[in-house]
Amino acid sequence: MSITDVLLRLHQNNFYFFAILLFIIGFHTMLTHNNLIKKVIGMNIMDTAIFLFFVAIGYIHGGRAPILEPGAAHLYVNPLPSALILTGIVVAVSITAYALSLIVKIYQHYGTIDAEEIMRLRGGETL
Amino acid sequence: METAISFLPVWIVMFPMFMTLVIYYVEQRSEKMRNALSVGTSVVTFLSVLMLYPYMMAGEIIEYSMFQLLPNLEISFRVDILSFSLALLSSFIWMLVSIYSIDYMCHEHGCNRYYPVLIITLASCMGIFMAGDLFTLFVFFELMSLISYVLVVHEESLEALRAGYKYLIMTIIGGLALFFGIIITFELGGSVSLGGETLITVPSTLAFFAFISFLIGFGMKAGMFPLHVWLPDAHPVAPSPASALLSGIMLKTGAYGLLRVIFHVFSPGLLQEAGWMIILAVVAIITILLGSAVAITQDDIKRRLAYSSVGQMGYILLGMSIFTERALIGDIFHIFSHAFMKSTLFLAAGAIILKTGKRSIRELGGIGRLMPFTMLAFTMAALSMIGIPPLSGFLSKWTLSLGAMDAGLPYYVLVLLVSSLLNGLYYLPIIITAFFGAEPGHEHEQVKISEAPYKMLIPIAILAVSCLLFGLLPTNLPFDLSRKAADFLLRGGF
Amino acid sequence: MNAAHHLPVLAIVLPLVFAYLMPLFDRWRRGWCTPAALGVLAVSFVASLAMAWQVMTGGPYYYQMGNWPPPWGIELNIDYLAVFTAITMTGVSLVVLVYASKDLLHELKPHLLGWYYTLYLLLVASMVGMALTNDIFNLFVFVEICAIAACGIISIKSNKECLEASFKYLILSTLGSGCLLLAIALLYMVTGHLNFTYIAQALPEAMRLYPYNILAALALLLVGMGVKAALFPLHVWLPDAHSSAPSPSSAVLSGLVIKIYAVSLLRVLYQVFPADIFEVTPVLNILLWMSTLAIIAGSMFAIVQEDIKKMLAYSSVAQIGYVFMGFAIVDFFALTGGILHVFNHAMMKAMLFMAAGAFIYSTGVRHLSGLKGIGHTMPVPAVAFAIGALAMVGIPLTNGFISKWYLVLGALHDGQPFFAAVILLSSLLNGIYYLPIIVNAFFSEPQGRVAAPLPLPRQMQVPLIILGLGCLLFGIAPSLILGLIYRASEALLGL
Repeated sequence: MSITDVLLRLHQNNFYFFAILLFIIGFHTMLTHNNLIKKVIGMNIMDTAIFLFFVAIGYIHGGRAPILEPGAAHLYVNPLPSALILTGIVVAVSITAYALSLIVKIYQHYGTIDAEEIMRLRGGETL
Repeated sequence: METAISFLPVWIVMFPMFMTLVIYYVEQRSEKMRNALSVGTSVVTFLSVLMLYPYMMAGEIIEYSMFQLLPNLEISFRVDILSFSLALLSSFIWMLVSIYSIDYMCHEHGCNRYYPVLIITLASCMGIFMAGDLFTLFVFFELMSLISYVLVVHEESLEALRAGYKYLIMTIIGGLALFFGIIITFELGGSVSLGGETLITVPSTLAFFAFISFLIGFGMKAGMFPLHVWLPDAHPVAPSPASALLSGIMLKTGAYGLLRVIFHVFSPGLLQEAGWMIILAVVAIITILLGSAVAITQDDIKRRLAYSSVGQMGYILLGMSIFTERALIGDIFHIFSHAFMKSTLFLAAGAIILKTGKRSIRELGGIGRLMPFTMLAFTMAALSMIGIPPLSGFLSKWTLSLGAMDAGLPYYVLVLLVSSLLNGLYYLPIIITAFFGAEPGHEHEQVKISEAPYKMLIPIAILAVSCLLFGLLPTNLPFDLSRKAADFLLRGGF
Repeated sequence: MNAAHHLPVLAIVLPLVFAYLMPLFDRWRRGWCTPAALGVLAVSFVASLAMAWQVMTGGPYYYQMGNWPPPWGIELNIDYLAVFTAITMTGVSLVVLVYASKDLLHELKPHLLGWYYTLYLLLVASMVGMALTNDIFNLFVFVEICAIAACGIISIKSNKECLEASFKYLILSTLGSGCLLLAIALLYMVTGHLNFTYIAQALPEAMRLYPYNILAALALLLVGMGVKAALFPLHVWLPDAHSSAPSPSSAVLSGLVIKIYAVSLLRVLYQVFPADIFEVTPVLNILLWMSTLAIIAGSMFAIVQEDIKKMLAYSSVAQIGYVFMGFAIVDFFALTGGILHVFNHAMMKAMLFMAAGAFIYSTGVRHLSGLKGIGHTMPVPAVAFAIGALAMVGIPLTNGFISKWYLVLGALHDGQPFFAAVILLSSLLNGIYYLPIIVNAFFSEPQGRVAAPLPLPRQMQVPLIILGLGCLLFGIAPSLILGLIYRASEALLGL
């Protein structure tokens, strides 16, 4: 497979490519950053990447939203992934809200939102 | 066979177990009642075992299956002549020890813990001897091992707790090894019943693992080198009657288990063919020499007795590794005679410790003049240990040696002789110090040391006389039982 | 269609609905919260038992949610494994809730009790849902509910350790959910289905066309569920979370929550993926070695702990290794042992955590060396702890022995005695850290606060007694539950 082929394949699958890229960025942010807020941001990036991936599965180039009109035959996109992702988004939002409220509480108790600082305050125990 | 008789093994195991609860309930109210019930329970257990005598002599085998835990894994009982012999021995000594305990323990704390534990260990010990399959044996073995921990740490001193910890860890290791052995047997043989066919018939790596596991599991209990490390710590720290049981009886459960493994799980033929018995013989010889040699260096009288137990268990293990009839008779008879000797020694030592508060052999000068009967019994048992002719220890060693000669293994006889010499080296000084040593002076003038109370003396006397009797009489019950049991095992044991 | 047919949905929906009613009850009649929550869980438990009876007599069946047939509708799969898991989850959580009703008064501010019940019922509902569902996206939703509720019942205590621990748990748990969702996306991409049965039908064909997608999905699934089930190197969140949480939370988290992920993974691996995939990929081998590490390392870590709940938490890391080991050795006996251990360990660990909670409740002592002599002053929890500890070591006639028996037998039967030896070694390690606690409890004189503990309410003693007797009962008569498990393993292995 030549380099052009690879690029062509990438172009054809660009949703997936960018979804995975975003997933890795989010994953990395979540695990390596010490700032708790950044961890939450990373979490959201990761979740969004998965949503993109999922929705992209159902997307058909040139397809329309599946609102059936009597008599008209159109190319529709698959609605199921979108419906599922709606659930996924709700879950992600609630987890984000929960995480943020935890961070508020953590800040009240520790006076910092830096994970390492918190570890230090708790007495040298590392993750 | 009548159903009543086949139910008897269950009764023998369950009755003391039930009585444990009763004693636990009663002891909150009356100490006298507790003591009476404990002695009563052990007496009834002994008599119940005795009731089996005619059936056993007729060569019958009593089987009773209680319930099934898992497919092919059940709690069942099976009494043959070997089970009967050991159950009879144990319940007899238990009975004497529980009588002895009454006066001994009244000076100790925590009696309310001691008696229920004493009785439930009796129950589990009976369970071990009467088990009809390896699993039942394992259950009772674990029960006895774990509960006798309470006896070991009875004093709750730092020393006792430390010894107890060692004991507990070794027990767990032994239990796991047994578990492994049993499960391999189950996998290879499809059953763990001791009453059916030989379970493992083909030597394989897995079978070898099983053999080693059994050796570790039962050998740990029997004080086999190098797993004996817990024994010299655990036995001396227990109260003396408990030490007598630990050394006199509970060590034998390990030996009993090994006998069952050798003759029922494997077969002598298989073991000889595969050459695995060499392992047992070698560790047994090391155990004999090591136990006897280290005993010489001990000053604490109970520690010396405990090391002596290690050495004596070595005889029993060695006897098992020779598959001639006379060796096996000597082996089983040594289980009897060692039980009598060692419980006499521990009970006598207990009486001395109770009266003088001294455990160091150097300080026991002249004690033989103050407590003549106790010391006489001690002397008799000690001489029997060394193997002086008319005593039972001589008979067992003699038969063992003849067995070894039959098998063409004169080295074993040499080992026995050397170890007897060593036994002499550590027992005779005690006797000499006790009878001919100078009293260590002024302390004794304040505290008058008298003979032990009769409730302690009688059990000691009975045991000591047994040592003499069973050596003196050419045909006696233990020897007869040993002969029958050995014959039974060599015939295939089914 | 009669009412008995709707039991599956009842077992899930009832706790779910009542979860949201709890805050209302709390405002209106606070005294009703506890009986209502207990009642709901009792109904769920009875429904699970009734389902077990249905399944044992009439065979497994499917329940279509809202009468929508698959592949469009969500389907519940009422098979042997599902009812077994549902019974375990509802039964143990019911017992723990009895305990919680008193313990929480001590550990939480009173106005939080209603909210605690909300989270608790949500947790149970989601676990039962995970056990019963036959739809992979539905599984994901329940996983998420479970994750939030599980974090919630840790952070509700709202002290420093809990907040930090639950945040750590939340982040790692989200990571796991992310992996799981991506795995679902990949599976949906190649099969076009979300229903387990339909995915399983489509996978062999898809395997030929898109092998890499499926392998990636498998890997993501393993990581996702592995994080949530705290399988060894992914266990980092567990010790803090389980030790700092209120004791009843620790009991359900350690006893039930990590198991439900293991069971879900088991179901997906065995029922969705075609069996030949395990011949081309070493997934089960990886799982086997991870569980081996978990068993050894978890026990090792537990030995050096000084805090009683932390020790129990590390012990859970080891015990979940047993469960995974049973799943990964593809053998009837091992699988039976693994599934049985889900049940047995749920009882043992819930009991141990509750006993530890009782010690903390009455004396405030968490440090292991501070618990000397506790057996004299608090006999009920100390005896319960002793039974649990002996069961952990696998002493015969306790339930731990039975699961160990099957696991070792399975390992031997499959010709892998090494793993049998691993289980035995870990039993020894269990002995090393559990037995000294019992010894200290019963053979030392109580001192300080241990000498004069607060009296333990009856509601906290009864659950300990129930579970203690349960541990012995299922050690003596394991056939009570084994019938169900045998059929579950047969179904999973396709025998």
